[in-house]
Amino acid sequence: MRKPDGKIVLLGDMNVGKTSLLQRYMERRFPDTVSTVGGAFYLKQWRSYNISIWDTAGREQFHGLGSMYCRGAAAVILTYDVNNAQSLLELEDRFLGLTDTASADCLFAIVGNKVDLSEEGPGEGGQEGGQGPGLAGGGGCAAPRLPKQVQLEDAVAFYKKILKYKMLDEKEVPAAEQMCFETSAKTGHNVDLLFETLFDMVVPVILQQRAQGPPQTVDITSSRPPARTRSGCCA
Amino acid sequence: MMSTKAFALVPAVEREQLMGDRERVSLECVECCGRNLYVGTSDCFVYHFLLEEETAPGGSATFTATKQLHRHLGFKKPVNELRAASALHRLLVLCDGSITLVHMLSLEPVPSGARIKGATAFALNENPVSGDPFCVEVCIISVKRRTIQVFLVYEDRVQIVREVSTPEQPLAVAVDGHFLCLALTTQYIILNYSTGVAQDLFPFCSEEKRPIVKRIGRQEFLLAGPGGLGMFATVAGISQRAPVHWSENVVGAAVCFPYVIALDSEFITVHSMLDQQQKQTLPFKEGHILQDFEGRLIVATSKGVYVLVPLPLEKQIQDLLASRRVEEALVLAKGARRNIPKEKFQVMYRRILQQAGFIQFAQLQFLEAKELFRSGQLDVRELISLYPFLLPTSSSFTRSHPPLHEFADLNQLTQGDQEKVAKCKRFLMSYLNEVRSTEVANGYKEDIDTALLKLYTEADHDSLLDLLVTENFCLLTDSAAWLEKHKKYFALGLLYHYNHQDAAAVQLWVSIVNGDIHDSTRSDLYEYIVDFLTYSLDPDLVWQYADWVLQKNPEVGVQVFTKRPVDDQQSRFNPDDIINCLKKYPQALVKYLEHLVVDRRLQKEGYHTHLAVLYLDEVLQQRPSASGKDAEVTETQAKLRRLLQQSDLYQVHFLLDRIRGAGLPMESAILLGKLEQHEEALRILVHELADFPAAEGYCLWRSEGRAPPYRRRLFQLLLAIYLSPGPSAPELAVAAVDLLNRRATEFDAAQVLQLLPGTWSVQLLCPFLMGAVRDSVHARRTTQVAMGLAKSENLIYKYDKMKLKGSSVRLSDKKLCQMCRNPFCEPVFVRYPNGGLVHTHCAASRHTNPSSPSPGART
Ligand SMILES: Nc1nc2c(ncn2[C@@H]2O[C@H](COP(=O)(O)OP(=O)(O)OP(=O)(O)O)[C@@H](O)[C@H]2O)c(=O)[nH]1
Ligand SMILES: [Mg+2]
Repeated sequence: MRKPDGKIVLLGDMNVGKTSLLQRYMERRFPDTVSTVGGAFYLKQWRSYNISIWDTAGREQFHGLGSMYCRGAAAVILTYDVNNAQSLLELEDRFLGLTDTASADCLFAIVGNKVDLSEEGPGEGGQEGGQGPGLAGGGGCAAPRLPKQVQLEDAVAFYKKILKYKMLDEKEVPAAEQMCFETSAKTGHNVDLLFETLFDMVVPVILQQRAQGPPQTVDITSSRPPARTRSGCCA
Repeated sequence: MMSTKAFALVPAVEREQLMGDRERVSLECVECCGRNLYVGTSDCFVYHFLLEEETAPGGSATFTATKQLHRHLGFKKPVNELRAASALHRLLVLCDGSITLVHMLSLEPVPSGARIKGATAFALNENPVSGDPFCVEVCIISVKRRTIQVFLVYEDRVQIVREVSTPEQPLAVAVDGHFLCLALTTQYIILNYSTGVAQDLFPFCSEEKRPIVKRIGRQEFLLAGPGGLGMFATVAGISQRAPVHWSENVVGAAVCFPYVIALDSEFITVHSMLDQQQKQTLPFKEGHILQDFEGRLIVATSKGVYVLVPLPLEKQIQDLLASRRVEEALVLAKGARRNIPKEKFQVMYRRILQQAGFIQFAQLQFLEAKELFRSGQLDVRELISLYPFLLPTSSSFTRSHPPLHEFADLNQLTQGDQEKVAKCKRFLMSYLNEVRSTEVANGYKEDIDTALLKLYTEADHDSLLDLLVTENFCLLTDSAAWLEKHKKYFALGLLYHYNHQDAAAVQLWVSIVNGDIHDSTRSDLYEYIVDFLTYSLDPDLVWQYADWVLQKNPEVGVQVFTKRPVDDQQSRFNPDDIINCLKKYPQALVKYLEHLVVDRRLQKEGYHTHLAVLYLDEVLQQRPSASGKDAEVTETQAKLRRLLQQSDLYQVHFLLDRIRGAGLPMESAILLGKLEQHEEALRILVHELADFPAAEGYCLWRSEGRAPPYRRRLFQLLLAIYLSPGPSAPELAVAAVDLLNRRATEFDAAQVLQLLPGTWSVQLLCPFLMGAVRDSVHARRTTQVAMGLAKSENLIYKYDKMKLKGSSVRLSDKKLCQMCRNPFCEPVFVRYPNGGLVHTHCAASRHTNPSSPSPGART
């Protein structure tokens, strides 16, 4: 097994479509999925780099694994369902904290999935994602189209909140408009754009990490100064 | 999901050997070190067995455990854990909260009585930091709350080196280098005991479920996670493998690459670390111990010990291939790369790729098959040999053993389905065509090309001919027989030709043209043969078939001589022999002579005369039939005239004799012209043929390349003939006028005027006269201009001369010759136009010796 050069992690509540997005991108299809157990990952060759993409489980039961998966991540994709306002709130409440272990210069992308189900979303015939029509069954067979519950502005606002939480300067990170996506794993809308935009942004991060030396040894000691260890504070 | 058979469960120690009939006693812990197997029991005994592995005739392993010793440790407590430190010959025994050191063979405690007190669990560091071979590093979970201690254990003493406290109570520990992997009450952590730095892994409630912490390799641990997950974590606190999904109540886990084995109360389950899939389930009731000891997997119930024997990887892969699970087999094989020496791996992996290729092939998945054959570097003959009769009989090939597939041949593989057979053949065709020029073909080019030839032949494929006319390695005997069988005689000829058997090739083709054998490959086969002979380098062959090709079609057949490259003709074909041969075929002979005379411009009288005679014969032959309209000139006649006019080599008198009386006035005129008998020739043209343009043409022809007076003489002669009185005077007068008016410049007007009858009006000859007058005026004027120019030139010279004479040149002792720098001793000198003076002899030497400097440059 080739060692990956960088890691991207998908986070988000169960059922928002993380596994579906990955399958759409990696295997160009939209199969029936089962709720993910534990996690899974794919290796993607991008230019000369191997990028591992971790699909995590949104189920509460596996929530605790998130921090470990995020450790050292070069990018995190926070995923919600545009038709489910709660799923965006969950990102802030439950998932954002998991990214504390990610690399210091980690990138964040906010992804609202399942736009094909809402009224404003691109019709199933409008193939902006470039995939052929009538690709897959699954999900919303003739589901009535509802108004979108989460607007892109909400995602942008959330992105800005993340920057505040991370104490990052807006000017030093990619703009919110660049990092907030609305996708459909079902039609393929924006899926390639999402992943490939991120890959392109992650490559410089990888290069920078390489320049700093072997990431493993550096990571452990530098990301957590001894003063903050539990053994220290509980002694 | 289909299952793989990755492991076999083999009993090692039976219940009777351990506790006999003591019902309540149970097995608590196991250790295995080399052939030594130790078992600790609930009634504080340690048993030592020697474990012997045998391979049964069927290939399956069996174990016999022979008891060596058993010893009671002297407590009323169960034996909790056993660990061997083979380098120290010690067994570490955890019982009643302390770890005692006993001798590995005698099971006697060390005389020093060294022990570690206050331990609830311990782990050996298999990646020790000390580097001292005479000690082992032991981590214990202390009875002191939230404390881990690290010891160095020597043969007969122990030494504490570190004590670290943990944020919560630890329940299980594994160690690798400085890194402790700990299961705490609510989570797993990695703790660097030398720096004290801790790293959270993930939460886990150890009070609800028994945690599992296993070191599975350098810097990597396997942990029981939430929801029955088997999680992987490195000392850096990250996961590099996706988790596997066990049942909820797993009590033990181990890794035997590439598998993760888990034990619960009902089953042993096997997952692959390569694709996270569950591969095998072995029913196993009441198991409570699963451990791996240097690659040996041992499971135990409270009553007996079993060995989990991994089936050889190759066997597993073969099983997968046998059930056509190509993808899984390849993943497994690839995963084994790092566990097998490189050389051996490559051989094995190639073979698997090839086998996988044949599986895909049998399912007509040709694209996949091709890729697998390519990457597996398949000996193409393996594939060819599936197709009956394709390999040459002389091929030394035998299929590899053990076989790469189960098929005897294509018929068996397709079960006689002809459509499938055809598809397979098409595949082989394209495959062989692709590989024949690559390195894959090295060493088997004969086999490949012969097979390809056979396939093309059978399929009546166009590429057959391409194959044979370009570089190929088709074996002659095999291919010839095959082509003959399929009546591909034309191709067979090509094959013979490629093998330098041109005679056989031509013979075959000739038979096709003659209709003795049938092959419609080429409708223009006769022309092909002619062409072939034309370029054949074998004169004997050409002579052998010259008659045949000439008989078929003299005019085409003669090309074997005429189209032949010239240097070849000159060196090996004597024109006289050819002419001799062509005697029977007049048309051919004419063509050949034309070739010699016209194309090659051979300046040999014989050829020219011969050709002229042949033309003449033909013309004479044709004439009677075309008697009515002799105005019409046949093609041959035209050729004859052209030859007579253009050639200077033939025997004029000889031809003139033959023509005489044959009624060929034009030809006669030409011949007379050749003899410079112009008057006679022109008379024929004018009087006999009344062909005035021809007469005029004659004058031009005969005066070609000669000085103008000669031409004038001819025209004058013609004019005289026109004007001489005779029966057809009026037409001739018209012709004369016409001639004069159109060719005014060809005449000397003065002479013409003397000839002209006085009755002719000026009007009639106006163009001629005007031309003549103008010419003469023009001549006069140009002469005057020339004269004027000459005069003025003369004046200029005179002027120069006067100028030069006007000034005098003084010669004194001081004047030196510009060339030799000596004074002038004589009054004679040379003066250059720029005024420089030199000796006469210096001036002369300057002209003969151009390298000396010019006097002008010296001044
Ligand atoms: N209409 C529609 N349905 C989707 C889309 N993406 C996912 N789904 C459906 O939503 C359901 C959940 O998708 P998953 O990809 O399994 O969701 P997940 O985020 O991986 O869930 P967990 O693994 O439990 O965390 C499935 O039934 C999908 O078919 C989408 O873009 N459009
Ligand atoms: Mg999922």
